[in-house]
Amino acid sequence: MTRTRKPGVSRRATLAMMGAGAVTFATPWVARAQAKTIKVGMPTILSGRVAQLGTSSRNGVMLEIEKVNAAGGLAGRQIEMVIRDSKGQPQEAARVARELVNTDGCEILIDAEASSGAFAVHEVARDLGVLCIHTNSETSALTADPKQHIPNAFRTARQGVHDSIVGGSYAAAIAKAKGLKKWATCSPDYAYGRDTTGEYVTYLKRFAPDTEIISESWPKLFQPDYTEVVTKILQAKPQALYTCLWGGDLTSYIDQANIYALFSQMEVFAVNMADYTALTVVKNLPKGIHSGNRYIKTYPATPENAAWGDAYKAKYNEYPTNWSWENATAIMLLAEASKKANSADGKKIAEVLRGLKIKSPFGADGTVTMRAEDQTLVGYAIGWGTTIPQEPYVPQVQAGDWKTIFELEAEWKKSKGYT
Amino acid sequence: MTELQAEQAAVVPRIESQSQRSRYRDVLIALVAFAVLAILPMLTGSKALLDFVIRCSAFGLFATSLNLLVGFTGMVSFGHGMFFGLGAYGFGLLMQRTGLPVPVGFVATLVITTLIAAAIGAICVRLKEIYFAFVTLAFQMLIHSTILSWVSLTGGDQGLRGGIPRPAFLGIDLSNHVHLYITSCALLVIGLLLMRQIAQSPFGYTLRMIRDNATRASFIGIDVWRAKLTIFVLAALFASTGGIIMALFVSGAYPEFAYWTISGEGIFINMLGGVTTFLGPMVGTVLLLILNDTVTRLTEYYGIVLGIVILFFAIGLRKGLMDFVVEWYARRRAGTGERG
Repeated sequence: MTRTRKPGVSRRATLAMMGAGAVTFATPWVARAQAKTIKVGMPTILSGRVAQLGTSSRNGVMLEIEKVNAAGGLAGRQIEMVIRDSKGQPQEAARVARELVNTDGCEILIDAEASSGAFAVHEVARDLGVLCIHTNSETSALTADPKQHIPNAFRTARQGVHDSIVGGSYAAAIAKAKGLKKWATCSPDYAYGRDTTGEYVTYLKRFAPDTEIISESWPKLFQPDYTEVVTKILQAKPQALYTCLWGGDLTSYIDQANIYALFSQMEVFAVNMADYTALTVVKNLPKGIHSGNRYIKTYPATPENAAWGDAYKAKYNEYPTNWSWENATAIMLLAEASKKANSADGKKIAEVLRGLKIKSPFGADGTVTMRAEDQTLVGYAIGWGTTIPQEPYVPQVQAGDWKTIFELEAEWKKSKGYT
Repeated sequence: MTELQAEQAAVVPRIESQSQRSRYRDVLIALVAFAVLAILPMLTGSKALLDFVIRCSAFGLFATSLNLLVGFTGMVSFGHGMFFGLGAYGFGLLMQRTGLPVPVGFVATLVITTLIAAAIGAICVRLKEIYFAFVTLAFQMLIHSTILSWVSLTGGDQGLRGGIPRPAFLGIDLSNHVHLYITSCALLVIGLLLMRQIAQSPFGYTLRMIRDNATRASFIGIDVWRAKLTIFVLAALFASTGGIIMALFVSGAYPEFAYWTISGEGIFINMLGGVTTFLGPMVGTVLLLILNDTVTRLTEYYGIVLGIVILFFAIGLRKGLMDFVVEWYARRRAGTGERG
């Protein structure tokens, strides 16, 4: 009989596919040779809605790694970063983190995950005992809750409760000066939004007891249309509005609220406004929005900070984000601790990290400290100011007082049953 | 006895003995598969390989159970991921809050899943096709939203934190990586074997009949609603077991486990592996996880690669890999027969 070519895949193609399959199957488990370099693994989010979290974290890290490597690396070992996308899924974050340590031979983890992913990586660190620095999760419980505490995990991100204390006291001062009694809130409907808003209101009322909340809105995360939220707030006629919307949500909200001239009718407090991701994207940035600093190169107003912001801009052609400085700080601390310990060993570095104070462009007084008791960063620049539509965007920032922060934080911990 | 009846009477025992034999064969294959998996840790020190198999167990059980609905009964559920999430949260919460022994927690989680699946199924299986798909999706989103908003119980969008305690039982310590691996393999093999039995049983053939023609099935006297509900609950149990394995693997439970994307992944695995063979979804799972692990190593543009693969399977092969292999093999045999 004559055999015609049947539709489908030929034998050769099948063999090729099987071969390719075998290769892809085998490569992950071929552990790469460990030379003198030290590998640092970094699971983060590089795709999807919050990909900027990952890219700007990576930029912040790489900017510092170059400096550290040029100066000889960690105790003489050059650092090689292995950065992987978790797509924002916690089970992927856990898998990637395990793979980085078990297969790629990473000896240190920089956990640049957000929200639930950070807790998943935290469990991996607990299991594997590897030195892990959380750089993006601002959830206070990650370090404040003693149940979460493990000796090998640290955090170099700001913390929700710190922001709320400073934000609340700043707002209360303005409320008293301008007689703002009726407040509205508008925050994204998930743990960060609810917790941060709740804490903010607590501290606002504590410092200015005669304020009241007359309207609450909880738009969904990544909601595209805010019309109903804006009109609801306008109808309630508050004197002031608090929001912890962030990133793209905040900018769409502002663009849409501008149409209704919302910003001329009330004082607006947007904790996440003073970050270049928001400042540079809003079409018509209204004057006079109160905001906490996330990252701006003019605060702290030091030549070191300005130089760091400019170097970043020169290299990546965009301004750093809040995530950039948090991740850069992790590398700065690592380098300093390794120098002091004269070792690249995770355990020895962890010993030195506890309580370590380093010079930093992001410090409130030119230094930041890794607090020993809960292994989280303190002393970073934190303050509030008002916006103008062009650079430097937030010209005057009122610094938060770390003494007050420490007092109230201790009280907050007690109220939560953490101490 | 007419001739026809006599003939049938002779055929029945033959079929029975055949099915008996195929059952033994399945058990044998399962034992061999388990033995191979169990000696793997002795052959390789690679923890990543063990991690890979643990994840395969979780997603494999999930995807195969989905195929019981999609492939065998013709019920395309878009909400199957809710049972995966339910298993993870149920088990995680029970272990964190009550300190029960692991096997008791496991069984209790399955009991909870049964109750919830029965309640949800009772409503969903009355519907057909796209309506069924969408109502299951709606229930999934309901469960997902409940997990998000019931912060005091579930930890909201931060998930169940603080690790899942796992006291040792019968000499098995699930905080030991190898023990966890062996347990996952055992659950996978037992789960697959049970599902295979369900698929090959008379009940399994009833399901196929319902898939092909539900009206005829009900005319023959089959209670279609009851059969559909039964398989809905059974499938939920295996998906829940998958969720439990995943919860043990990540030592926590996260709302993403109950999100629609997990259901979507299940559907995708089924497309990849094929829905006409029993092992199709398992092959799909292995394929997807390999794809996932290698592609995320090489590029952050994971979505593009995955999209191309979907297109290849949907437009190029127009079927899953296992379907393709089985057909190709059958064609080949027929081909050689012709020539010979």
